[in-house]
Amino acid sequence: MWRYTFKRLLQGVITVWFIATATFAAMHLVPGDPLASDKAVSEEIRANLEAKYGLNEPVWKQYTIYLGNLAQGDFGISFTQKNRLVNDIIREHFPVSATLGLLAVLFAGLGGVIWGALTALYRNRLPDIIIMFLVILGISVPSFVVAAFGQLGLVSLNNLAGFNVLPVGGWGTVAHMLVPAMVLGLSTMAYLTRLMRSSMLEIVSSDFVRTAKAKGLPPTRIFTAHQLRNAVLPVITVLGPAIAAITTGGFVVELVFAIPGLGRYFVEAVQQLDYTVIMGTTVFYGAFLVFMVIAVDVIYGFIDPRVRLE
Amino acid sequence: MADPVLSVKNLAVEFDTYGGTVQAVRGVDFDVERGKTLAIVGESGCGKSVTVQSIMGLTPMPPGRITSGSAMMGDIDIIGRKTINGEDIRGSQIGMIFQDPMTSLNPTMNIGSQIAETLIVHRGYSSKQAFARAIELLDMSKIPEAAKRAKQYPFEFSGGMLQRAMIAMAIACEPPILIADEPTTALDVTIQAQILDLLMELQRNNGMSIILITHDLGVVARMAEHVLVMYAGQIVEHGPVDEIFYRSGHPYTMGLRAAMPTNDPNAEQRLTPIDGSPPDLFHPPVGCGYFARCPHAMRICAEQPPQAHQLSAAHAAKCWLHHEANTQQVAQINLRDHAGEEPS
Repeated sequence: MWRYTFKRLLQGVITVWFIATATFAAMHLVPGDPLASDKAVSEEIRANLEAKYGLNEPVWKQYTIYLGNLAQGDFGISFTQKNRLVNDIIREHFPVSATLGLLAVLFAGLGGVIWGALTALYRNRLPDIIIMFLVILGISVPSFVVAAFGQLGLVSLNNLAGFNVLPVGGWGTVAHMLVPAMVLGLSTMAYLTRLMRSSMLEIVSSDFVRTAKAKGLPPTRIFTAHQLRNAVLPVITVLGPAIAAITTGGFVVELVFAIPGLGRYFVEAVQQLDYTVIMGTTVFYGAFLVFMVIAVDVIYGFIDPRVRLE
Repeated sequence: MADPVLSVKNLAVEFDTYGGTVQAVRGVDFDVERGKTLAIVGESGCGKSVTVQSIMGLTPMPPGRITSGSAMMGDIDIIGRKTINGEDIRGSQIGMIFQDPMTSLNPTMNIGSQIAETLIVHRGYSSKQAFARAIELLDMSKIPEAAKRAKQYPFEFSGGMLQRAMIAMAIACEPPILIADEPTTALDVTIQAQILDLLMELQRNNGMSIILITHDLGVVARMAEHVLVMYAGQIVEHGPVDEIFYRSGHPYTMGLRAAMPTNDPNAEQRLTPIDGSPPDLFHPPVGCGYFARCPHAMRICAEQPPQAHQLSAAHAAKCWLHHEANTQQVAQINLRDHAGEEPS
């Protein structure tokens, strides 16, 4: 198991290097010059930046400088924001995105497993039909619409109650997080519900569940020990990418609910060709995704013994 | 047949499907004697598995439906019941093993725990006691290094070892009846023999009755005391194993025997299959189910279902050939088949 984990981590590092290289190449293929924008920087600053990043040097030299800085965990200084280190931007805003994201993942994962199992057990009966209809809605309605409706719902709720039941926007307490997390996790939850349903349907009619019945186990025990644990495996497989997707994909929700997450900086940086911020956030998110996938694979090994020995 | 452990009377099971209602089992009677092995033979889809699964309450309902019949254990009809005298029927009164051991065990739970589970649920063992007992049971089922093996998972076992573990699980609570639903079909021949020996040894030691479902007449000859031959959801013939083999009373049983390969290395003849296929159980035939494939079919076979005809004290066949006027004829048929002639 430890060997396996170590091997996966090594693979992860290589993947991250690849992401960094690809981002670097992409940045240099994009036409334009971050320092030649309307908000022109002074000659001095320009000279300093060019010296630090070797911007006048050949590309391979720039690349080695960039990788060297990266290896030391230095993402550089923002080209467009005054006195802002990319590391600081990430350090300040990523925890917000991560908290929101993890809450959303928790919501999506639990919801997906519960609704999925429920629909499978009530196959083709009313609860199944209702939930699967909502699932289709959840998958097909884009997040900005859901976010808007979520906020509208919050406003109406507060109006109806006459006081602020839950804050409409902003960040700080758990109350701020609830509705944005649900909005953010909704489509993933819908997707996981479908996945869990089909996986559960397969398990329900499997031979080993029949064995469990023939052993005379009570239905609750069959459900928890034999059906759920096996049915949840495919859900866990997609949970890794889902965590990364949710945590990084919250731009819209962050914007609508005025949450100071990292997503906004990422989008703005692309618009302003802020090299260091783009590369910093991309590499950081890339690394985050890669290691989430690895973490999930390792967890998977604990649940499914067949994976452990490989 | 004094004091059977299980006595099934007139059991009928139907399934609702999109194509209509399938009458999978159409009035089955049999007794299981204490400490003896009853074999149920017949081709795929003849209702053997459905019969025992209905008794165990394992047929999914819906779409399944038990339309009539009873299965008495002592004075109590166990159809539709979960417990008998305060004990669970499944696992505690009747153990069951299945055809494919590779898929019949939970892949994410270790073997020992899967056996222990039964003891915890039915016998109120603590998990530690139950696991220790599970190791003993694995040992009894001839699994080497049982203590180590109990902590392993199904994917670390071979097919034969898994079937041994399944047997250990099924007999954990020492049920009076063990149902073995094609226990050796998925295993290779040497392993088959080992599993059958194990079943017989366990039976000798704890005196349980075995209901053995199979379509392998070799297995029947080796294991069974009494045989039921099923065809199209009905029992067409039943009797002691020797009488079934040497004095077959039903053309279907004769056909099955004729279709058996021999061990003779010099035999250079083709197998004689039974031509045709079983009747459509959406609309079972009015008369005898075997009518369309029977080489000896008569007009009455198409029109009226044959009644059981007692051939000896414990041997009966449902065939019009045995009807009074035809007794002479069937004797000749049997003689001809025994002579090994090619049936037309």
